[in-house]
Amino acid sequence: MSSFNGPGLYIHVPFCRRICPYCDFSVLTGDRSWQSRYVRHLLLEIDLSTGSGWPDLIHEPPRQPFDTIYFGGGTPSMLRPEDLGTILAALRDQLPVRDDAWLFLEANPEDVTLEAATTWRQMGFRTISLGVQSFAEQHLSFLGRQHTPRTARQSLDNAISAGFDTVAMDLIYGLPGQTPTDWRRDLDAALAAQPHHLSCYQLTVHPRTPFGFRRQRGELAEMENDEQAELFLMTHRLLEEGGLPGYEVSSFAAGPEHHSLHNQKYWTHTPYLGLGPSAHSFAQRRRWWNPRKIKAWMAPLAEGRSPIESGEELGLQSLVLESLMLGLRTYAGVDFDTLPGGTGQRLWEENEATIDRLVERGLATAERSCLRPTLRGLAIADTVARSLDLDCLREESP
Amino acid sequence: MDSIRNFCIIAHIDHGKSTLADRLIQSCGAVEERQFRDQILDSMDIERERGITIKSNTVTLLYDSPDGNRYTLNLIDTPGHVDFSHEVRRSLMSCEGALLLVDASQGVEAQTVANLYLALEYDLEILPLINKIDLPSADVEHAREEISEDLGLDPYEAVLCSAKRGTGIEDVLEAVIHKLPPPTGDPRAQLQALIFDAQYDPYRGVVMICRVKEGRLRPGQRIRLMHSDKEYQVEEVGYLQLRRVKTDELAAGSVGYVIAGIKTVRDIAIGDTITDAESPADEPLPGYKEAKPVVFSSIYPMSTDDYEDLTTALDKLALNDAALTFEKDSSAALGFGFRCGFLGLLHLDVVQERLKREYDLALILSAPSVRYQITLNSGEEIAVDNPTLYPDPSQIDSATEPYIKASIMMPERYIGVVMELCREKRGLNTTFNYLAVGRVELTAELPLAEVLFDFYDKLKTVTQGYGSFDYEMLDYRSTDLVKVDILVNGEPVDALSQLVHRDMARARAMRYCERLEETIPRQQFKIAIQGAIGGQIIARTTINAYRKDVTAKCYGGDITRKRKLLEKQREGKKRMKVVGSVEIPQSAFMAVLRSDDKK
Ligand SMILES: Nc1nc2c(ncn2[C@@H]2O[C@H](COP(=O)(O)OP(=O)(O)OP(=O)(O)O)[C@@H](O)[C@H]2O)c(=O)[nH]1
Ligand code: SF4
Ligand SMILES: [Mg+2]
Repeated sequence: MSSFNGPGLYIHVPFCRRICPYCDFSVLTGDRSWQSRYVRHLLLEIDLSTGSGWPDLIHEPPRQPFDTIYFGGGTPSMLRPEDLGTILAALRDQLPVRDDAWLFLEANPEDVTLEAATTWRQMGFRTISLGVQSFAEQHLSFLGRQHTPRTARQSLDNAISAGFDTVAMDLIYGLPGQTPTDWRRDLDAALAAQPHHLSCYQLTVHPRTPFGFRRQRGELAEMENDEQAELFLMTHRLLEEGGLPGYEVSSFAAGPEHHSLHNQKYWTHTPYLGLGPSAHSFAQRRRWWNPRKIKAWMAPLAEGRSPIESGEELGLQSLVLESLMLGLRTYAGVDFDTLPGGTGQRLWEENEATIDRLVERGLATAERSCLRPTLRGLAIADTVARSLDLDCLREESP
Repeated sequence: MDSIRNFCIIAHIDHGKSTLADRLIQSCGAVEERQFRDQILDSMDIERERGITIKSNTVTLLYDSPDGNRYTLNLIDTPGHVDFSHEVRRSLMSCEGALLLVDASQGVEAQTVANLYLALEYDLEILPLINKIDLPSADVEHAREEISEDLGLDPYEAVLCSAKRGTGIEDVLEAVIHKLPPPTGDPRAQLQALIFDAQYDPYRGVVMICRVKEGRLRPGQRIRLMHSDKEYQVEEVGYLQLRRVKTDELAAGSVGYVIAGIKTVRDIAIGDTITDAESPADEPLPGYKEAKPVVFSSIYPMSTDDYEDLTTALDKLALNDAALTFEKDSSAALGFGFRCGFLGLLHLDVVQERLKREYDLALILSAPSVRYQITLNSGEEIAVDNPTLYPDPSQIDSATEPYIKASIMMPERYIGVVMELCREKRGLNTTFNYLAVGRVELTAELPLAEVLFDFYDKLKTVTQGYGSFDYEMLDYRSTDLVKVDILVNGEPVDALSQLVHRDMARARAMRYCERLEETIPRQQFKIAIQGAIGGQIIARTTINAYRKDVTAKCYGGDITRKRKLLEKQREGKKRMKVVGSVEIPQSAFMAVLRSDDKK
């Protein structure tokens, strides 16, 4: 596995059949003609990236080739296999992509017929990630999803039969009124389907989404913090017992070989290049991104210009803060010795008292240079990250 | 000098002083119609928003009388609210006469009487005016009766007018020149000019507003301030005609401004006398009686970096608000600040508002307190207005607290609830009077401390906004005082300590604890919040530990957003006050110290 430590590629496919009421991604319900325009423009963006793949703002592009390609969205499974094929071929043709690059595809259950799954598998996809969200009828309808629990189960079976290396599945919990028993039933159903990877996301109500507006009007009450905590802890414990131990706040896998190679790049500041509307990229302490709106992304491409909208260069403090906040979201925690700029030892010393207190309160364990959250610490990873003082890094320039 | 009249307009709040000033200004053509606006002298934003005058304002008018002469009228519009009576006092000292306005529908009210006495103290000629005669409810005869009986003035001297409609304005102007005396004084005598107001101009420094009693003031002259004993050179003198208008000199009898390149605000004191440095007067003019603050509160900058700015702001504000007193104060929880004295809650409110608006400062104010008189066992008497200076209870023999006489007017249907409110607030000797049909006036003796806490808001709520409140200071009466401390995880938060009557202690402590419970965010551990008198806990609440605070997703595009949020929260955390390892946001202090019941 360790051989997959090169940069990753992310392709954003901004289409969904229907927009879920909680969604704050860059998506639209485009018909076929939209899809072909999208594919055309994506190919233009790939053309622009010909060569190293990296834009000019990266003066010394990573030398390693891309070793993961992740089709996310949106609903990549809505794209015709021909389109997927064309995109893949263009990527392999024009960018440095390793032959054995690990390919990921996000799919909605209703798209995953055995036939489709087999085709994708044959195209080289190794992980398929199914947006199941729930096995309960009423929760699916609350979430505005179109598939039924039956379709969900069927899609899993199909994916497994098609022979993907990793069959992954997403669930959402912490819905208003959801009881621990409700959720437990979902988890049991998920375990019964025997996926290799499971992501369990607690519902986040974003402003300016239908759920956000409902909350504003007082028609949607989010779950109490204590109940959320209860479900969170329960999820991690149950899945561990069920053979899918957690490795990150929302990620669970049957074994390390099923950990998401691609997501781990995000969490470790490994370079990644994102193509498509709203896609983010990172390399050499710089992060940049494309416009969210598909039209704003297409317009410059049609004129042969890069669609990058804006970006930032992370100062040492920001970089370290990200490392901490991302690291503390994982079971592995943060190894201070690997923090950027060799700042780890100094930081540890500055924060000795805070770290002691975290350990005392049972929120983390500290071993040599490693700070590892306990399960309770993981539940408040943001608070824990916030409690560490980075002022000693303030003076240094990036 | 015979053609000068220096006078002010005094009255109870809302009787129409500023509106009358408008008409006088317009009659004298001192402002172009298109630049005119109602209550033009109320130039501060807070004055305009609240529709009340807060500061006295001076304007020089030129009046061409039908008698063929041109008169210079120096008019001062004053505030009517009791909290600003020091402004009236300041104004009176530079005048020979006063127009005492009485609202024809309300008649003589508390501040009408109080301001009349003030004016008499300074030996001013008083001219009564009956205003608002246009109102259907106007009762001129009744007003006349009260002018005679309550004020002891000649009711038939009273000029009738409607400031709003502009009727009777000619009569007012004629009465001013014929009934009010011209100033006395000798332009050739040694210079004596009373500084009765000041402003700060960012370009010119201090602008002193003064009344020249003797001698003359000219640009180029070296002057000395007799109390502070500082010397300056006059750069410019002039009249205030809604803006500054330069002139060659200000001679005895005039009112105007002086600019003398003064940048150090602290060197100027309202009430000081300007004289000539080369040939000084023998004596300064009598100064002001210092305004006696009755309400005290500590002001802290939200961010400790702003302490210097707060210092300068208070210096400048005090120049313009002579009644504000302040001295250094410090709190373990909130850092350095100032203990300030105010003439009342409205004054406090206005100062806070002005600091915010005019100086752009974010502030935290401690709960307002009155000044208690405490007799120690040793027999020594001390005054305490700051809970942190409260002596050890075992050393205290007895304590007294100030009472006020409150007068509340309301429609009669509210009398029951208002009496109940007064009782809750430890009111004594409550009496009531049915006035006109449907209206009642209730008077009660109330401890000022109880009025400071929550009284206005409650009154507004129970009377649905129909109750009006007025008060005067009464006397000091014995009280059973305790100091209530608020503890967070066992550590006292000094800025939240309060002196309260023993009977009110538990409720007050509980209220504070609850407010803190609502505003302190959950933290990694459980937090105990307690109210205590000495070692005895009288109220408690707890804030449970935070149990879940992590975003579900953190992929490519989420990272920047998440980091920025964390960065913002860290910044916020820096501005939090840490007590007993608990981070308390400023909003918690503000929520606790706010007296109203807003949630
Ligand atoms: N009907 C009528 N209303 C008047 C008259 N004079 C003033 N008012 C109104 O009374 C209210 C108060 O007028 P102001 O001139 O602000 O009163 P004030 O005495 O300056 O008030 P303070 O400065 O706050 O003490 C305003 O709404 C005026 O329009 C009048 O002659 N007739
Ligand atoms: S399927 Fe996913 S991307 Fe599409 S609308 Fe629903 S939440 Fe958004
Ligand atoms: Mg006024």
